[in-house]
Order: sequence, then C-alpha cells, then structure tokens
Amino acid sequence: MPGRSGGRLADPGARTVTAGLVAVLLVASALVAVGAVTAAWRRDLTAAIAAVPLMFGGAGVAFAGAARFSAAGGEPIFGQAAMVLLAIAALAVVALGVGIAGREGRR
Amino acid sequence: MDSLHAIGFYVSATLSIGGALLVAFVPGRFLRGLALAVTGLGIAGIALSLSAGIAALSVLVCYAAMALLVAGPRYRVVEPQLASTWRQLGALGAAGLFALLAYAAWRGDFVHATFNGGAFGTAATGRFLFAHDALATEAVAGLVLVCLAGAAAAWRTRERGR
Repeated sequence: MPGRSGGRLADPGARTVTAGLVAVLLVASALVAVGAVTAAWRRDLTAAIAAVPLMFGGAGVAFAGAARFSAAGGEPIFGQAAMVLLAIAALAVVALGVGIAGREGRR
Repeated sequence: MDSLHAIGFYVSATLSIGGALLVAFVPGRFLRGLALAVTGLGIAGIALSLSAGIAALSVLVCYAAMALLVAGPRYRVVEPQLASTWRQLGALGAAGLFALLAYAAWRGDFVHATFNGGAFGTAATGRFLFAHDALATEAVAGLVLVCLAGAAAAWRTRERGR
C-alpha cells in the first residue's frame, strides 16, 4: 500500500527533491562569478574588497560539496576545514582592506 | 541528501546568491554590510545542508564580523584611477568564467558515493582535532592562551599607567 503523508495518499510517481554535486558547483561558480563582477565593476576600492568574501565563499562551498559527495574515500572533514580556512582568510582580507582604506581614504 | 536537506540547500543558495547580487549593486555601506550578512547566512545554510555544521558556525561568525567591518564607521571611500574599459573587460571576463565553470559542472561526470560523516559533522571534526591532529590543536590552544594572557597583562599595564 502506498504511504500516507498528511492524511493523503502519496503520489507513487512523485519525485523527491534532491541536490547533488552539480547543484553545489553551480551555486559555487555563481558566487565566484558575482564576486569577480563586483570586484571588477565597483569604482570604490573598499566596495570592491567586499567582493572578496563572495569569491572565497564560493570556493568554500565548492570544497565542502566536493568533500560531501566525494567517492575517493578521503577525509570528509577536509572540505569543511578548507571552508573555515577560506572564511577566516576572507575576514583577514576585509579587515586589512578596511583598515588601510581608513588611513588613506575619505569619508 | 533527503528532501528536507535539499530544500534547505536551495533556500540557502537563493539567499546567498541574492545577497551577493545585493553586495554588487546596492549603494551605501550599511546596506552593503547587511547584504554581506545575508550572503553569509546563505553560505552557512549551504554548509549546514552539506553536513558541515562546524564550518557553518565558523562561516556565520566570520561573515557577521565582515558585515560589521563593511558597515562600520571606519569605512572610507578610496577611488583609484582605473579606466572604465578595464573594469568592463574584467566584468566580461567574470561572466566568461561563470559560463566556463557552469559548463564544466553541468557536463562533468561525477561518481556518486554514500556519506557517513553524520548530519552535523561533529564526529568527523572530533576525530580530526583530537585524534589525527591532536598536537596541532594543543599548539593552537597554547597560542590562544598566551595571547589572552599577554593581552590581559598589556591592558593592566596600560591601565596602571593612567
């Protein structure tokens, strides 16, 4: 007998929502591309620096997704470690950029 | 990945890309910082749906700090002299990069595998920190302790001098 969900019979032909490595890599590439566009397009250097976390975040998502769906049998924690490292590096870049701009720029 | 995680992934992906687009196009430092925080929330959600809970927490803290820095009062405008042609070429190059990466992801052939790291990733993180790299973890903990003690000593010295 087909399963019930919420008092109704579930459609036997219904497809479950899922996400795979392709979806993760598409999101990661979109983040990297938006970050690159922002860094190239913005006239203000401090606003361009705000694009660095977007690119680093995209790279981190790609690392975490590759580790999550990897079939190589390696440590799944490697992708998470790379993601944390990239986030901290992005924070350092933004702090450095805002600090230098605070000395050099105008309000 | 079950349906709940998949829905969380797609919602978080929408948040992160929408926030990134806002970072690109919104004027003003406050709104830009807010958009950066939304992007961080989305990226943390993606990490959580990929069973990387510890990474999600770290990303959330880092992006909140970045949003505070970008929206904070230390923000200054710096405008280097750069021809708009080069900026347009850079934007076109970024669009080409996205097309290349998306094509590679779409056409690539990936092997499917089962994931045994747990829903939050704490077991793998614990094994990594306290079994595989225990010495490095203790070294980092010692460094943090020395930094905190040094900061407290410096603060006390400065307060005594006042």
